[in-house]
Amino acid sequence: MNPPNPTTVAASPPETPPRRGAIRLPKDRHAIVDNFFRFQSLFGLVAVFVIAIAVSPSRNGENVFLSSGNLANIVRAVSEIGIIAVGMTFVILIGGIDLSVGAVLGLAAVGSATLMVDSGLGIVPTVLIVLFIGTAFGATQGAIVARLGIQSFIVTLAGLQAARGIARMWSGGLGIPIAYGDGPQEAPEAFSLLSGSINGMLPVPALIFLAIGVGALLVLRSTAFARHVYAIGGNEKAARLSGVPVRRVRVTVFAISGLLAALAGIIHAGQLNQGSPNDGAGYELDAIAAVVIGGTSLAGGSGSMGGTIAGALLLGILNNILALNNIDANVQLVVKGLVIVAAAALQRLRPRIA
Amino acid sequence: MRYTRRAITILTLTTLALTGCSVEKDGGDGGTDASAQCGSGKEFLIGMSQANNAEPYRQVMNDDVSTAAKAVSGFKVVVSDAAQDNSKQVADVENFLSQGINLLIISPNEAKPLTAVVKKAYDKGIPVIVLDRKVEGDAYTAFIGGDNVAIGKAAGEYYAKTLLPQGGKVVEISGLPGSTPAAERAQGFREGIASNPKIEIVATQTAEWLREKGQSVMDAMLKAQPDIDAVYAHNDPMAEGAYLAAKAAGKESAIKFTGIDALPVPSGGIKAVEQGRLQATFQYATGGREAIDLAKKILVDCSKDVPKSTTLGTTQITKDNAAQVYTELGGKQ
Repeated sequence: MNPPNPTTVAASPPETPPRRGAIRLPKDRHAIVDNFFRFQSLFGLVAVFVIAIAVSPSRNGENVFLSSGNLANIVRAVSEIGIIAVGMTFVILIGGIDLSVGAVLGLAAVGSATLMVDSGLGIVPTVLIVLFIGTAFGATQGAIVARLGIQSFIVTLAGLQAARGIARMWSGGLGIPIAYGDGPQEAPEAFSLLSGSINGMLPVPALIFLAIGVGALLVLRSTAFARHVYAIGGNEKAARLSGVPVRRVRVTVFAISGLLAALAGIIHAGQLNQGSPNDGAGYELDAIAAVVIGGTSLAGGSGSMGGTIAGALLLGILNNILALNNIDANVQLVVKGLVIVAAAALQRLRPRIA
Repeated sequence: MRYTRRAITILTLTTLALTGCSVEKDGGDGGTDASAQCGSGKEFLIGMSQANNAEPYRQVMNDDVSTAAKAVSGFKVVVSDAAQDNSKQVADVENFLSQGINLLIISPNEAKPLTAVVKKAYDKGIPVIVLDRKVEGDAYTAFIGGDNVAIGKAAGEYYAKTLLPQGGKVVEISGLPGSTPAAERAQGFREGIASNPKIEIVATQTAEWLREKGQSVMDAMLKAQPDIDAVYAHNDPMAEGAYLAAKAAGKESAIKFTGIDALPVPSGGIKAVEQGRLQATFQYATGGREAIDLAKKILVDCSKDVPKSTTLGTTQITKDNAAQVYTELGGKQ
């Protein structure tokens, strides 16, 4: 499971002194320790899972946390954030950030509801149009970042406002309820399957998340595109000098992020039977949290998709077990903060391999 | 850019392939969780799913539920806060179901998104009491809520008979445009003042329920309308904001202010009436106590016959009864 090595494409980054606090180890122990840090979120996920089983309340002798209904709830609840986080991982790997994803989710949810309910479109055209809108929105942001050289933080901050504004204008400011049926002002019944589950066990949104996650994991492990992404994040100048099409990769990465945010928005509308322009507020921060817990560096150039998926699941389990134990919602926020800091601190301790 | 196109194609195709999969809709998966047998001397777990703890009104609602439940032996209440997020509230209710609650009290963030999960709980045989905002359909046990038209009307009648019997110029500071309570409080007020044609609403401006906006809106109206007799605000914070603006202009004693909500908290409208900033406020009850009363009927008394819909009345609060009502509603000193 080695992520592609950026040095195969780009020149090594300039010499830097070892970071403060990094563990120094004899060479033969590097591999073990490094693997621990590389897969820290996976270890973290297992640890949180075990702790959750241990502290879960039980009911009629059954462990509540482990009940199939509860596990299904967890994966269902993380799927939207997870899908967004997959896109966010690409963006962060090139050293960027995408703050617009939550607003794009809201825009896509409004779009799904409006196109089906008001315009009477079928599911396939609706999904295609909404995904196109998300992709185009992301690509536009990417183009502005790449062509004008404005930091992605600023461009996507502006994008966040714009997407939210468009969503409110499109919906008239109110949530658009989705009723199902064949009549006018009704959406096709099949759309409600987004809130269903397969054999009553695996929720559909979770399945989509896992498929997207595995797909992205494969893309990131074995394509030239992935090597370019890592190269740009590692050292943009070197990447450009060695022939990486930096601008095009940038645009593509933001387009992927927009596409996946729109996909999450479609799922959101299907789950809640409503497209509300205000939904998805703050989702960008949860997605960034999942990426950071997954061990991806905000500086770009290092990180993995598996880490992000594990990070999203870890956050979901954490939310769930705290709620099952009736821990106050405010305490839950604090715990989430501590986990993010702990994950980042662990990355800081990671020994540097020459 | 072949690889990029390939990557996007893979992602898109996966997406489309998956959305086309054949799956079943989630039903109430078996009535496995029918609530524990009712009866006295038993333990009951009640889940209280709140839409947003950050609003003082909803905080008071939680307090009312918790306080009332403490008085019933065997009742244990767990509260969750959805922080205005529909998805979070759905997950909150799901978590309650996992925990095996015996009764659900929910104040939904929005109707449509919460309808399915409320129905899921109800179909499992768990009694559901819906507070303040409704869900769609009738898959719940009981709804308890206030009547904003009646509250607006009570305020209007107070203006017509007590506050401005000789008539006068009223400005209205309204809640968020498009929100039902704002529309109903406006409508009821007009019905209430109809008996006194000398009362004139000279201006209506929105302050979106917010104290600071009430202040800035009132600033502007004081300049536009030189002789205002009274300010009808759709809630207490906006009335307080308007009072501050008038005070800054030195006109606070010439103008009368009224609000709505009357929360029994130190920053609430009852205290503002007691301290003389507002002339009157009208209680918008939380329904928290009434919900626990119903829960007791259902769980302890085994009553099958509970009212499907309960409309809460309002109390007019003036300086005469402010201190007394504050104590009755359990306000903290």
